[in-house]
Amino acid sequence: MAKIKCNLNINGKNKTVNIHEDKPLIFVIRDELGLIGTKLGCGLGQCGSCAVLIEGEKKNSCNILAKDYQNCKITTIEGLQTDKGLNAVQEAFKHFNAAQCGYCTSGIIISLSSVFLKKHDPTKNEILSCLEGQLCRCGSHASVMKAIDKLKAS
Amino acid sequence: MNSFYSGPSIKLYGKLRNWFNFDKNNVLQVYSGKIDIGQHISSTLALISSKITGINYDQVEIIKLDTDISPNEGKTASSLSVSDSGSAIKAASLSLRKAFMKYSLKTLNVNFEDIVFDNGIIKDIKSNRSISYWDYAKTNEFNELTIPEKFGEKEIREFMYKNDHKVEIKTINDIVTGKYEYVHDMIFPKMLHARIIRPPNYFSKFIKFTNNIDQKINKLDIKIIVKNSFLAILSTDEYLVVKYLDIIKQNIVWEEVKKLSEDTIYNSLKNNDKESLLVKSGGEAFYENIPCIKEFKDKKYKTLTSEYKKGYLMHGPIGPSAACAIFTNKRFTIYSHSQALYDLKLSCSEYFKVDPNNITLKFRPGSGCYGHNGADDVAFEAAVLSKEFPDIHILLKWTREDEHCWEPYGSASLNKLTGVIDSEGKIVYWSNEAFSDTYMTRPSNTELHNFISYNFINNDFIKHKSTPKTRAHMGIHRNLDPLYDFGENRLVKNLVHNLPLRTSALRTLGAFSNVIALECFLNELAKTKNIDPFEIRINHLRDERAINVIKNLKDLMTKDTQNNGLYRGIGFSRYKNSAAFCAVGVELKVNDDLNIKLINAWISVDAGEAAYEDGIKAQVEGGFIQAASWSLYEEVKFDTKEIISKDWDTYKIIEFDNIPNIKTSVIDKKGMPYLGVGEVVAGPTGAAISNAISEALGQTIKTMPFTKEIITRELLEN
Repeated sequence: MAKIKCNLNINGKNKTVNIHEDKPLIFVIRDELGLIGTKLGCGLGQCGSCAVLIEGEKKNSCNILAKDYQNCKITTIEGLQTDKGLNAVQEAFKHFNAAQCGYCTSGIIISLSSVFLKKHDPTKNEILSCLEGQLCRCGSHASVMKAIDKLKAS
Repeated sequence: MNSFYSGPSIKLYGKLRNWFNFDKNNVLQVYSGKIDIGQHISSTLALISSKITGINYDQVEIIKLDTDISPNEGKTASSLSVSDSGSAIKAASLSLRKAFMKYSLKTLNVNFEDIVFDNGIIKDIKSNRSISYWDYAKTNEFNELTIPEKFGEKEIREFMYKNDHKVEIKTINDIVTGKYEYVHDMIFPKMLHARIIRPPNYFSKFIKFTNNIDQKINKLDIKIIVKNSFLAILSTDEYLVVKYLDIIKQNIVWEEVKKLSEDTIYNSLKNNDKESLLVKSGGEAFYENIPCIKEFKDKKYKTLTSEYKKGYLMHGPIGPSAACAIFTNKRFTIYSHSQALYDLKLSCSEYFKVDPNNITLKFRPGSGCYGHNGADDVAFEAAVLSKEFPDIHILLKWTREDEHCWEPYGSASLNKLTGVIDSEGKIVYWSNEAFSDTYMTRPSNTELHNFISYNFINNDFIKHKSTPKTRAHMGIHRNLDPLYDFGENRLVKNLVHNLPLRTSALRTLGAFSNVIALECFLNELAKTKNIDPFEIRINHLRDERAINVIKNLKDLMTKDTQNNGLYRGIGFSRYKNSAAFCAVGVELKVNDDLNIKLINAWISVDAGEAAYEDGIKAQVEGGFIQAASWSLYEEVKFDTKEIISKDWDTYKIIEFDNIPNIKTSVIDKKGMPYLGVGEVVAGPTGAAISNAISEALGQTIKTMPFTKEIITRELLEN
């Protein structure tokens, strides 16, 4: 099984890893780089818990290969906060305690960040569209919607 | 206000030191036998303790359950976490504060008026001398102090705190920053990642590998374990496990010992062998003759009959079940998100023939838990694998397909109802027969076969027969006994045998289908006399708190204008007739294509004293959304060979595009016992949705989920 040298830019840092060439991005993020905030949910690209930002766009990391995203700007949940603190989506989630078990939450925050980092006041359709495929089983949706309302208001 | 009772946990663990530890500077560590499975119990318990002891909420830490040090408070289930552990911690906190105050005044030789009490420290204003809880905890008095089983009205009056201050839940900062560690995230040196190599169905015997795949794989950094029909793959590289699991599945031969199913589920529910028990007022079930349904021939009576059906439902956590285990120095340490860690310890002790003292279960968070899901199975499997590789941690994760196809589901069910209403609108006779598989197959040291892999290890493909549980509101007959006064009740629990799929405890057990059947049939009866849904409920209730919850719901709903094309329905229940009271209203639209769009929801809940109001809201709103998902989308599909609902494409759940605007009103009953809220909302939600659909269509749809296919079928059949 061939291993390749893979150059990744994750959360603003360049990382080089030796990996099997068919390794999905999520296993590199979690197992090689120790960034556990990205969650393995279905491995099929259906639930959104593994979502990351690639060049600012939301992408499920469980069904894409790491080698195909070399030198792209990849952001995980750990990379959303800056020296100034949490990003606005994280702050809003914190304010409304918008999580139950929390397993799906990082994917949902990533997903909303893909919209709110580009636009201060996205439309309802834009928000619902970005949340398509972000599954939550505990029913944290109501508190997430409150967090979204706060984001829109601010 | 009444006296306050410390509850069952204090009877078993009556010392302060069983609940509190002050070894960490400026931190109050609290032990609990309950686990945080997303219901924010750690925040609620910390808040209870903080409010009474006066120690800042941020300085209260709830210790994760560890069977070596935590009190055994049974399972984290049945909406008992706050009523059991919350009451215990409230009692311990009251006891601690009282004893500490007395000790401090005596030691400082001052009066109450001479001190200030701030954040766990008592200071003599004049001398500046102080004593803290942390000092007090070093005394023999603290070590020996026993918590009373009852507190008088006067003792609790001063703690009638307001519930208006907002707190941040204990887990939220780590969750939003990706630092919250689940069992899935554990890492140890040389750790082996593992997956189970699952067969096509429950009744499959392993025959052989083909193409020498096992030998080829063993040459890589991958190991395969075969114990009869229990197979697993392990490697230090998680991705290799995932990759080669798929390859092995294509190179393996299983023998189908028997078919998964022979008939449709609703035929099986009606026709299979069953045990029928009579359920009496109070909710207990008895092995007694079942009386025939009474006939009311007088013209002043109107008799209706109806049947309500529901398919199998899955827990379906977003993160599949996982566990980590190590066997070293003849001891097991197992990290798990099971609701029943103490039972798991005893089961493992029995299976491995190891003294329970040599097995430690440590709670580590998992993805959402709504009952007996895959957590116990995966922990058992991880322990089995750890025995094969001593001194190495095994991190076993179920796959998405494992979770969808192998977890114990909430049973499919059928309710047959007959009701008689008189000319005055009074219901005088009520018959409800519930037909279902068991909800009670949690593993125990006497029922190891309830671990799915135990059977594959033993090549045992018999479906073990369950026995009906008889205690009040257990399993199938949960909430079968109506809180309403219906004159004469005929309530029958039918445990149906030889049903196809594996079942156990899913949030609410039988209450979801029983409450829906009750609340929808009540509306059907009310319609025959043109009685308003609120009125018929209030007219048949005696419990003032129940009536108050319904009236509160009516007030909430009345404040919002109902627009054209939108339809409303309501539902009510008191969970187990002993936990929280809840009434739900729903407003929805039936689209032209018969898809249901939820618009508004109102929830009125009385959970006794509101220990943490935001926590109660989160639980009932989350429960509402999950129950709405069950009602509108969910049913496990299967054929004669296998379960077809293998992933989120083949088992749809609710998404953000169908979440209504939810308004929740918590009725805070200060000084009253805590009542659990984890499950109360589900039945009323399903009923409210069903009743609103009935209003929209002019016909009650009696089979769940309310998909356009099922609605179309029932409309055409009528």
